[in-house]
Amino acid sequence: MLGIGGYSTVNAAGVDNAGSWDAIATGRSGLEGNALPWCDLHCWVGEVAGVDDEALPEALAAWDCRTHRLASMALQRNHFRDAVAASVARYGAHRVGLVLGSSTSGIRTTELAYAYYRSKRRWPDDFAYRRSHSLDAVCRFSAQLLGLLGPMIAISTACSSSAKVFVTAKRWVDCGLIDAVVVGGVDSLCLSTLHGFHSLQLLSDERCRPFDARRNGISIGEAAGFVLLDKQAAAINFVAGGESSDAWHMSTPHPEGLGAQASMDGALRAAELSPCSIGYVNAHGTATLANDRAEAAAINAVFGVGAVPVSSTKGVTGHTLGAAGITEAIVVIQALEQQVLPPTAGLCEQEAGLCLDALTQARGARLHHAMSNSFGFGGSNCSLIFNRAD
Amino acid sequence: MTLQFDIHAAGALAPGVGSLADLLALRRGEFVMTNTATALPSPQSLPANERRRASQVVRLTMACAEQVLRVSPFPVDSLRLVFASDEGTGEVCQQMLETLATTRQVSPLLFHNSVHNAPSGYFSIAYQSRQPATSVSLGKQSFAGGLLCAVSEALSSHQPVLLLCYDPAMTDPMHALLPVSSATACAWVITAGDGPVISTLALARFALTLRPADNDEDDLLPSWLPLAWTANSSALGLAALGLLDDKGAPGACDLRLGAQRMRLERLDGATAC
Repeated sequence: MLGIGGYSTVNAAGVDNAGSWDAIATGRSGLEGNALPWCDLHCWVGEVAGVDDEALPEALAAWDCRTHRLASMALQRNHFRDAVAASVARYGAHRVGLVLGSSTSGIRTTELAYAYYRSKRRWPDDFAYRRSHSLDAVCRFSAQLLGLLGPMIAISTACSSSAKVFVTAKRWVDCGLIDAVVVGGVDSLCLSTLHGFHSLQLLSDERCRPFDARRNGISIGEAAGFVLLDKQAAAINFVAGGESSDAWHMSTPHPEGLGAQASMDGALRAAELSPCSIGYVNAHGTATLANDRAEAAAINAVFGVGAVPVSSTKGVTGHTLGAAGITEAIVVIQALEQQVLPPTAGLCEQEAGLCLDALTQARGARLHHAMSNSFGFGGSNCSLIFNRAD
Repeated sequence: MTLQFDIHAAGALAPGVGSLADLLALRRGEFVMTNTATALPSPQSLPANERRRASQVVRLTMACAEQVLRVSPFPVDSLRLVFASDEGTGEVCQQMLETLATTRQVSPLLFHNSVHNAPSGYFSIAYQSRQPATSVSLGKQSFAGGLLCAVSEALSSHQPVLLLCYDPAMTDPMHALLPVSSATACAWVITAGDGPVISTLALARFALTLRPADNDEDDLLPSWLPLAWTANSSALGLAALGLLDDKGAPGACDLRLGAQRMRLERLDGATAC
């Protein structure tokens, strides 16, 4: 069990912890009709306010790209740097690790640079692949910003990336490599994922509606989030996680959610908890037909039909892809703090047959243990369990 | 901080290299590198549909996996997976960038092949394995990062772990950014701590030690590996497999991992191959 020493979330619904939770707890969506000047797809997006005007710290200006601006916003808000500095003072910078997830890293910068290359037959002078698009760039940028010298790694498993960071980080603490660790994730809006999901006909033409009978796809958002984990237990803790592979299809989940069941079962086993001790599941709940059916089947198989309160908060934040795991882990941490289960924005009438106790309104609860699910392309599944000490 | 682990099987794939034995022969100077491309056979373990669609990096990882699974003492569905690469889908990413800069008509196949964990997804489909798979990256230090993840996962899960580290060859224009000219890959099957009891001996036992780095120097390849592989993150994994050669010396190598330095030291005298 690792104690939560601090966290910071930035997403379309809110650019700080309080703002994000207020939107999520009231189901106020941050999604808007797509007005990105560089993308003409008819869809809804979760764009973070102020990214275009965000300046990186002067010493790190050479790392400028949209993902690092998002990361910088999250790292410098919510007293997160102070919390990390306290861990560095306690354990030493070499004993604080860094495990970050991203699906596409700074690919938006490479999209622009590639278009420039095609017209000029040379790369832009200020294009630095290693400091923007390279998957480890966000690790090296964040390590410098936070002054961390411990072991680091970037995890990229599509939409489970920044959930799996918790499990890897816990292994590093458990085997004594480090005493504390910053986990997190970031993904920005880019042509690659917008047109990629468009090609799969998975972009909704309205705000996404997880578990709704009339849902017709996802809304993509951008986000950054970070959590400081400590070997000492705290008021809220990361207990354990489970991981699995679908072994089914590259972009479609197993229809009965067998991989999802395996990751939830694995998390419960690792946490030494029975299903009935989980008081809330923050679902992956993307609002595609296939995901929500498979996930509902898996949740009902693990917990019993309609036996656990479930919501998806993607109607508020959008599906933030490689940042979805950390964004929703923070939702679960805040639900444990506030003792409130957030609603599923966009859910009016649940699809018949899903049979979930899907929350349409916020619900007060005595919540001790809660789970967050994240599933990704390649059949990559991860489930995380958090608890409240009292 | 020192962690111990055992290596039970290894694979090596590079121009002119199709096995661990080939790699160790190269180390002993028993053959001269010719300027051939890495042999990337069509992956027989994939269903016909996926086989036809397999990108270069999928053929590379599946070929290296098939090689190591032939000598692994563990059933494939007992292996947890760590896949490590600097830019593991670079050529697919380049095709997508070209499409986005022109028609923007990305194909579903191109999109799902563009994720960093596409190779591990294909692996799990090929072998019908629901074991966890984690795809990681740390630039040119991806092998050291992957090894740290694999060893800590073997220790905490008490299960064997297959670590695959790989670099597909890049073409222009992105070759200017990622100058990988030849595809290379290595595979390690490891256990640690109270791992499963097996009937065969391990190839070797290693001690992995992390300590703060005292300089910013990048890792250099040993002189027995071609300088042309300097841009390949997996070449450092091939260099480390050279420690399995009994006749070689010394029995340790150093690998950079962020602001840390990883020392990998062979502890016993067991003979490989």
